[in-house]
Amino acid sequence: MFLKVPAENSRRKGLAVLKQFSGKSFVLLCTALLPLLAFAACGASGTSTPPAAAADAHASFTMGIIHVGSKTDAGYNQAHAEAAELVQKNLPYVKVLEAENIPENADVSRVIENMISQGAKFIVPASFGYLDPAMQVAAMHPDIMFDHPAGFKQADNFHTYWAASDQHSYALGMAAGKMTKTNKLGFIGGFSIPNVIDSINAFTLGARSVNPKAEMHVIFDNTWSDPAKEAASTNALVDQGVDVVTMIVDSPITVVQTAEQRGIYSVGFHSTGVQKYAPKGWISGIGFTWGNFFAREIQSIEKGTWKSNPKNLLGDLNSDMVTLAPWGSAVPDDVKTLVEAKVADFKAGKAQVFTGPVKDNKGNMKIPAGKVGDASLVNTIDWYVEGVIGQGS
Amino acid sequence: MNIAFIAGVLSNAVLSGTFILYATVGEVIGERAGIVNLGLEGVMLVGAVMGFVVTAQTGNPYLGVLAAALAGAAFNMIFAYLVVTRRGNQLASGLTLMFFAQGVTAIIGKAFVGKPITGLTDLRIPGLAELPVVGHALFQKDLLVYLVIPITVAAWFLLYRTSWGLRMRAVGEDKTVAFAAGLKPHRLQYQALFIAGLLGGIGGGHLSIAYTKTWQEGMTAGAGFIAVGLVIFAAWSPVRAILGAVVFGGAVALQLQLQARGANVSPFLLDMIPYLLVLVVLMLFGRVKGRVVPAGLKDVFEGTG
Amino acid sequence: MAETGALAKPFYGLSSRQRDVLLQAVTPPLIALAGFAALLAAYGKNPLAAYWDVLHGTFGSVRGLTEVFVIMIPLMFCALAVAIPARIGMVNVGGEGQLYIGAIFAAYAPLTWPDLPTAVMLPLMMCAAFIGGGLWAGLCGYLRAKSLVSEVLSTLLMNSVAGFLLQYLVFGVWHDPKSSNFPQSKPYPAAAVLPHLGTGRLHVGLFFALGTIALFWFVLYKTRWGYEMRAIGGNQEAARRSGIPIVRYIVLLFVIGGGIAGIGGMAETSAIQGRLRPGFSSSYGYIGFLVSWMSGHNPLLIVVISFLLAVITSGRDVLQITQDLPGAAVNILMALILFVVLARRGTQAETR
Repeated sequence: MFLKVPAENSRRKGLAVLKQFSGKSFVLLCTALLPLLAFAACGASGTSTPPAAAADAHASFTMGIIHVGSKTDAGYNQAHAEAAELVQKNLPYVKVLEAENIPENADVSRVIENMISQGAKFIVPASFGYLDPAMQVAAMHPDIMFDHPAGFKQADNFHTYWAASDQHSYALGMAAGKMTKTNKLGFIGGFSIPNVIDSINAFTLGARSVNPKAEMHVIFDNTWSDPAKEAASTNALVDQGVDVVTMIVDSPITVVQTAEQRGIYSVGFHSTGVQKYAPKGWISGIGFTWGNFFAREIQSIEKGTWKSNPKNLLGDLNSDMVTLAPWGSAVPDDVKTLVEAKVADFKAGKAQVFTGPVKDNKGNMKIPAGKVGDASLVNTIDWYVEGVIGQGS
Repeated sequence: MNIAFIAGVLSNAVLSGTFILYATVGEVIGERAGIVNLGLEGVMLVGAVMGFVVTAQTGNPYLGVLAAALAGAAFNMIFAYLVVTRRGNQLASGLTLMFFAQGVTAIIGKAFVGKPITGLTDLRIPGLAELPVVGHALFQKDLLVYLVIPITVAAWFLLYRTSWGLRMRAVGEDKTVAFAAGLKPHRLQYQALFIAGLLGGIGGGHLSIAYTKTWQEGMTAGAGFIAVGLVIFAAWSPVRAILGAVVFGGAVALQLQLQARGANVSPFLLDMIPYLLVLVVLMLFGRVKGRVVPAGLKDVFEGTG
Repeated sequence: MAETGALAKPFYGLSSRQRDVLLQAVTPPLIALAGFAALLAAYGKNPLAAYWDVLHGTFGSVRGLTEVFVIMIPLMFCALAVAIPARIGMVNVGGEGQLYIGAIFAAYAPLTWPDLPTAVMLPLMMCAAFIGGGLWAGLCGYLRAKSLVSEVLSTLLMNSVAGFLLQYLVFGVWHDPKSSNFPQSKPYPAAAVLPHLGTGRLHVGLFFALGTIALFWFVLYKTRWGYEMRAIGGNQEAARRSGIPIVRYIVLLFVIGGGIAGIGGMAETSAIQGRLRPGFSSSYGYIGFLVSWMSGHNPLLIVVISFLLAVITSGRDVLQITQDLPGAAVNILMALILFVVLARRGTQAETR
């Protein structure tokens, strides 16, 4: 093969290449491509719209949901995706438009507009960081209803929802406190938003209620999803001596699997199917089940009563929006009984997570004895309870 | 700053630096042959996804590593065809390949997100693993971590102690002279890129099969560009690349360990350090380093290649 | 250029030269579309339906079309950042970083003096963005002019540094206390938002981008400086010998190129994001590099190629929602077009 060809040869070679695409060959090329396209058109299956609606007279309804990650992440996004599937199962006339891996910036408004132009009447921008762009789009479409998870701002056609998971966190903290041998617990969080801080505190309070020596080490990854960072964070915690780790990141898979590999316990968050990643070290987890909630929202939109729904819905333990994942095989029976008893107490209103006295980790009294922390703390809390090491970034 | 802290940082640095080091060494070989691959990110992604898919399908992580390596090499052959045979612009080709890989791996991997796999297990080295500080950090890791230093040394050996390496470096210095001397530059460049692809693929495979045991779209998150930067930092030497990977892995590990202990250090300032270091080193020793850059890359770095 | 006999026959009324140019332009997208169609078919999707959805989504509505322009704007800014230094043979791969730095510098005014009137705020932001991006690139240009560091390496490294700096700022001093620890700055006051055209997301940045391209064309082909630039690009040594101040041009053109990318960053954060956020660029810097390269750094072609790639990129959402494909799949189509151009141009390259 020549390296330096004289200019003349190069030009000729270039023209020769062009010749391939001269008239006749060009036409031949196109003709050759046509059967391929035709075959593709005939043979391939259609688009992925859901199966034809049941043959009843119910008017069709289109819902749009936007995921920040992947639908099968066994975590936050999967919980929402499964909710959408449940809606389609229970209300077969509903068509669901889904988008995945949409970044948390103004890009999402483009996707929402797209869905609205395809007929969506109910939009779930399913990630915290979508709040501002989604609200802007909502302001331009007063006839489209929005439900945003864990947001802290509302508008006429923009509601927010979440399920108080701190009671479950407290209960699971008790399990962790009982099962730890090093008295060091670990927490990996995406961003230090109040929601997450609330869970950290609840978990710590629960652990220390049965094990006053337990301490909680916290690492924030500054992203909801980055497997390499999550693996590094888990390893860093284990290297500090942590032997029970939990997390609030979009997908628990990496943290749980890394924990399993290092031989420590893990507690999951976001979905109920995580135990398969850690057959030995799994304790339990918190799962969100939004399906029935979405179905109710859709039906209230159809009936025209949606605007009278609560603007900021915080489902509690008695709602169908949050649940405990199944127990792992390593959990002793007495721990199970303890936790389940506490959950029952919470459900009956006999116990509260933030029951005074509660000090923060700098020594200040935050909730005096005899008082109980407000439920709105989940949206506003910005301090850590005693026992939490590491104030995040 | 106690022993446990140092041990933790070391362990984490080793683990998070490994996949970067594989890619860096691969890129060193490629650049020594006169080819800059800005699409290294794509090679790593391809390795990561194929490694994960094969591991998930067969249940055997070692097969997955093999698949990752071969997939990376095959992908790099596309790059080789574009830049060696067709003499396409190297920078543009590399970036194009990166975008191509982002799309292809997203499609291939979509069905596999969330699948649990048996990743590469840690292999304890009895005796050595009991050592304080370094025991866990260095001797209780997976196979690819153990192999990365030997492979790096082997790459160095290949480049500097074999006639193949000599021929390849000659091509990287000056293709015309090499050709006049009777070498076959294009074949050597293909071979170099094949090896570079193998290593980049293994790097990606380590990320998905051993380190995180997951697959996610775009999960390399810029590691390919970090590796390209580290090649400069290492002054195109495989062994110096180890230092680069240690600095990089160390910065990541240090920041996390500090967080876990409650100290507040901005992770972003720490992340900047490797890049600024490279720039400063280049600036200070620019004229000296200028002689270290394989001469064949001059065209690329001056925009005519 | 002498033409061989076989090509001398006219083709539908076009001269053979014109036919070659037309075929050259049309075959890469066609081949790419065919290749992508095959891929879609292999995954069980109907390519014709997919293409129709994308066409309908982009050209079938005003909103769809404006979204194409919205993507085109940063692409044009970033392509200019590459094209301007490229005219004298310099390679600027740092559009991404210059974009971010421009946004950072532009953010200073609205976040520090939120009560400035629009007439002061917007020009201040643009000047700041230009200065920021200009400095960022200018440093690399200077290092190159003094033969210290290759501009390819320095601009590449500076991309990462810029990204980290942005994150540092939005997590730190510029963090919005009302966003509960989510990394973003306070929202820009209305005076700091570039005016929009119509009700969509399209904004006046379009005019700035097109205007700058027109200015670039004018300078390049109608002024003495443009002539000198093209002379340097042809042969640096000869240009230097004729007394053209090369070093000055290198630094100046990097500053201008980087500054323009910086303005692109200001436009994105001001008009589209409305605040400073990490990662607001979807690889605009790198796609801009490819746009400029594919256009041969020619200002008019930059507009055309930006439009083409913007159309492809905006198909991302449609593919996801209607075809259940990952949005990233459109990158394949873009890459296929580039493969054809890369392969063909490489073989046609003149000797070095």
